[in-house]
Amino acid sequence: MSEKTENLVKVTIDGKEILAPGKLSTIQALWHAGYPRVKSVGCLEGVCGSCRIMVRRAGSTDVTMELGCQTLIEEGMEVSFLVFPTPSHHTYELGEIRNSWEVQAHFSRIFPEADHCRNCHGCTVSCPKGIQVERGVELAVKGRFREAGELFVECVMCNFCMTACPEFIAPNHVGIFARRVTAYFHIRPSNLINRLEKLRRGELQIRDQ
Amino acid sequence: MAMQGIPYSEALRNYSVKTFREPAGEVQEPEQLLRSFHPDYYPGTTVTLRVGVNRGDACHHQLAEVLQADARIDEADLAGAAIRETDVLVIGGGGAGCAAALVAARAGARVILTTKLRLGDSNTVMAEGGIQASIEKDDTPQMHLDDTLRAGHYRSDRRLVARMVADGPDVIRWLIQQGMQFDLDKYGDILLRRAGGTSANRVAYYRDYTGLEMMRVLRESVTNSNIEVLDYSPAVELLSNEEGHCGGAVISSLKDYSYTLVKAKAVIVATGGIGRMHINGFPTSNHFGATGDGLVLAYRLGAGLRDLDSFQYHPSGLTWPQHLAGTLITEGVRSAGAYILNGQGERFVDELETRDLVSSAILRECAEGRGVEVGDDIRGVWLDTPGLELRNPGTLAARFPKLIQLGKRSGIDLYHQPLLIYPTLHYQNGGVVIDENGCSSVPRLYCVGEVSGGIHGKNRIMGNSLLEIISFGRRAGAHAAEKSHRRGHKKVSIEHVSNLRRELTLAEMPMEKQGPALFPECAKFENDSDYDGLRRNRKGRP
Repeated sequence: MSEKTENLVKVTIDGKEILAPGKLSTIQALWHAGYPRVKSVGCLEGVCGSCRIMVRRAGSTDVTMELGCQTLIEEGMEVSFLVFPTPSHHTYELGEIRNSWEVQAHFSRIFPEADHCRNCHGCTVSCPKGIQVERGVELAVKGRFREAGELFVECVMCNFCMTACPEFIAPNHVGIFARRVTAYFHIRPSNLINRLEKLRRGELQIRDQ
Repeated sequence: MAMQGIPYSEALRNYSVKTFREPAGEVQEPEQLLRSFHPDYYPGTTVTLRVGVNRGDACHHQLAEVLQADARIDEADLAGAAIRETDVLVIGGGGAGCAAALVAARAGARVILTTKLRLGDSNTVMAEGGIQASIEKDDTPQMHLDDTLRAGHYRSDRRLVARMVADGPDVIRWLIQQGMQFDLDKYGDILLRRAGGTSANRVAYYRDYTGLEMMRVLRESVTNSNIEVLDYSPAVELLSNEEGHCGGAVISSLKDYSYTLVKAKAVIVATGGIGRMHINGFPTSNHFGATGDGLVLAYRLGAGLRDLDSFQYHPSGLTWPQHLAGTLITEGVRSAGAYILNGQGERFVDELETRDLVSSAILRECAEGRGVEVGDDIRGVWLDTPGLELRNPGTLAARFPKLIQLGKRSGIDLYHQPLLIYPTLHYQNGGVVIDENGCSSVPRLYCVGEVSGGIHGKNRIMGNSLLEIISFGRRAGAHAAEKSHRRGHKKVSIEHVSNLRRELTLAEMPMEKQGPALFPECAKFENDSDYDGLRRNRKGRP
């Protein structure tokens, strides 16, 4: 089972032909071949969304959006790393939403484009985590924020969906908004509140000397 | 040399899923186990520092090399550099940096947050297990304090720990107010799991994505604030004024290859740890950017450091397949009831002992021939996920989606086959000496999160790092903002770099290596011609 017995595979990464063991990720393959790679590298565990790549596999015309640390190289694969795009143009403060009755109104104001979704599926197709992004946007537009947010549990904010959206909806930010308002307005754990109250009353002192 | 272990295929044939396995019992002579097997005690790992405030102290030799390295820049690099001014400069875009920046900005300070890579590129985003806060009715902040001190072998700064544990519940509330979710029971109460070496269920979590959930919420909070974020902008030096106080930092841009002087009334360093230096040759669970930059910057300006010989090796790093070596599997899996088994299928340590003891016990099993051997010097022990699922059906899917993804990438069906694990370099226990506001020994220089020291003693417990970054991030942000109201900007320079060079020369130290490292060696940053612009004055240096 040692690496020595494994076959090397040939891939093209950012125009460079590379020969490397097939068990390596695209980033590891670049490093293995001696090429520098500083930008578009992050956690190397698939949760930071930095290493965005476009991939075309041998014999296919399809281009897929993937994460470079999660994609293992294959014979004949072509890979190009993407530069990180500009941030979303939407801005909001949770504090400006006075109560949970007003969330949907604020949502329409903050994300006016969400209602214009033309169901092109670009966001869902481009998601490297397999999230039902378009469905999430649809639920958020209907005010079903808790449900919408649940779909984005695995979202790493790689912004592929943002790049793919012709209506500039910023679907990932819609997803995070849906998750944030759910916590902000609806998470009220009695065990936490009770503990905070005890601390406020000065019970539970600590010996710090 | 370690003894040959049990071959992988043979160990796998011998493995079967069982509901019950004999517990291992208490660790006999824990001190002896650590001294014999913990990597902190490997012979020859420490050297004595010869330059700086901590001259004479023991320090791991790899860390000593960067602490006593030459600076990356000198005065010539700053000629023509743009100059900016702000109230508070935060260096680092992980959880600690974001918390500090948010609190400082909301207190009315002008804040610039500079980060080496992107906002959120950090160890925070990778944290899985959860965050400690004494919430359960049978638990108290005092018990949290006692557990933290005991697990750290009573080498912590008690006052810092006392502040942190008292902050715990309010930190959770603050995170919810930023929009962070936690796993709840059917009544909406926060679910809590138990960390190894502790006396109560105290770790709040969101699946095994606690850090991801925290980081994406904090990132969203920061980008929706008036904090100015400079990404791809590593700090390469701090600035000092005539009194030796901190007055800002020199920021290099990986986008336009230029230097900028950011003058600040307070600087908060939140650069994280050092895992990507692969201390003692171990694989690491750390982010690509964890190269100890903040330690180097702070040390040069005269900030005292502590516990420079103490690192945490997390017991459950994946060790096979090899291309994923070092990847973290949360302690939450053991907390949920997973056993660790040697190649003979026996439990050999209480799985919820402190991390240093569990890791040492794994290293002992491997050294004494009871580990599982894959060849080419790769060995480990089993993390019995099938046994966990058998005893608690549905746990894996409900609580550990990230682990399930890891299983898929490994090509291992973790419902039927155990994972091979081995300790992975996880955390820097020591760091910059701070007070309860995160102030270092250099006025106007704050250090928060993993770059700071004193909270975890010789060994950290699960969930205390996520608590620490928010607790001390908020403290430093508030304190820095308040102090900066009453201060003006002063004349700043990198005069301290000249002092460093003089000291290095007097101590007859080599000057070839430059710090901070910024990137791991594998990235070949130093050879990357893209960044030549940042090195244009280097050739002319004596």
